[in-house]
Amino acid sequence: MKRPRSFGAEDKTMREKTLVECARESDVLDALASARWPNRVERDLADHVASCAICQDVVTVATAIQADHDEAWREANVPSSGQMWWRAEMRARQDAIREASRPVAVAQGVAALFALVVAAVAGWFAWPSVRSLFSALLPTADGSTVASAAFASPALLPLAIAMGALLIVAPLAIYVVLSEK
Amino acid sequence: MFSRELTVGDLQRLDRIATAAVDALQMDEDTFRAFYDRTARQVWAYLARITGDRSLADDLLQESYYRFLRAERAFTSESHRRNYLFRIATNLAHDRRRRGRGIVNVPVPAENEPGALADGRDVAAETEQRTDLARAMATLKPREREMLWLAYAQGSSHEEIAESLGLRKSSIKILLFRARRRLAAALGPRS
Repeated sequence: MKRPRSFGAEDKTMREKTLVECARESDVLDALASARWPNRVERDLADHVASCAICQDVVTVATAIQADHDEAWREANVPSSGQMWWRAEMRARQDAIREASRPVAVAQGVAALFALVVAAVAGWFAWPSVRSLFSALLPTADGSTVASAAFASPALLPLAIAMGALLIVAPLAIYVVLSEK
Repeated sequence: MFSRELTVGDLQRLDRIATAAVDALQMDEDTFRAFYDRTARQVWAYLARITGDRSLADDLLQESYYRFLRAERAFTSESHRRNYLFRIATNLAHDRRRRGRGIVNVPVPAENEPGALADGRDVAAETEQRTDLARAMATLKPREREMLWLAYAQGSSHEEIAESLGLRKSSIKILLFRARRRLAAALGPRS
């Protein structure tokens, strides 16, 4: 069975399409802008507005918004053009410098990370030697201790000096990498 | 952590970069100042009314002009330039709304004492009308507020509204009609 065709929604759209504007809308806006509305407006325009829903909405909305616009205009306390230019110029400079400095900051971060990774790897491989050094420095059962044990072994002496030097040099090296004269 | 010391060479390089950034601005100072003097109040009023927040309008005004100055675009006319500025302002207001600031409040009018001014304006009546409008505007969608303001406060054409809001020109007529009808209904017969 053929369904009856529904006209409801289509009709509404069609009506809306044909009634979304009125040819005299611009006349109404002109009358409002020139303050002729409502007292000094032409008779035929007044009669038209009385019978046209679109123009009535235009009058209601435009009157309220224009009054509010005048008020907003009075209360607007904007910075002077000179101030605005100066601020924009300063900000453009700062932004440009920040953008130019960003790659340097990234490179510094990468260098610091790389140094940490190298230190960790070096520590991993040096750990057996360090452990043997410390065990040599600990008191032995017969009472001979520290220096005697360390200095008695010629192989451990350079390692002890290197460790001491590393403790002093490492912070300085990190400072030099990060502070980039 | 560690402060980075700058050499004279670094400073000269940064100065060149900063100068180039200023040179790359959309306008020279004189042109900008003239353009700003013609448009700043309009943009502020637009921002204040579509966001309902005066201090937010102050912030967005500065940001709008800054972004406008840094825009790498060629403008064919004063109208094109002005519409682009309003588009930046509109987008900034949308961004703030999405981030949770700039929710439209009913602004409390500054002058709220009854009586008449020396020029014959009735302050109480004007205040009441403004409050009514603010309440009615707050019931509309942001896009509707923007469109109505551009059409009836700025006197923008459909083409200019489309350009300022980033919409198709063909859709403005129907959207404006619906927005106007909603606002008129919200204002009621008294206005």
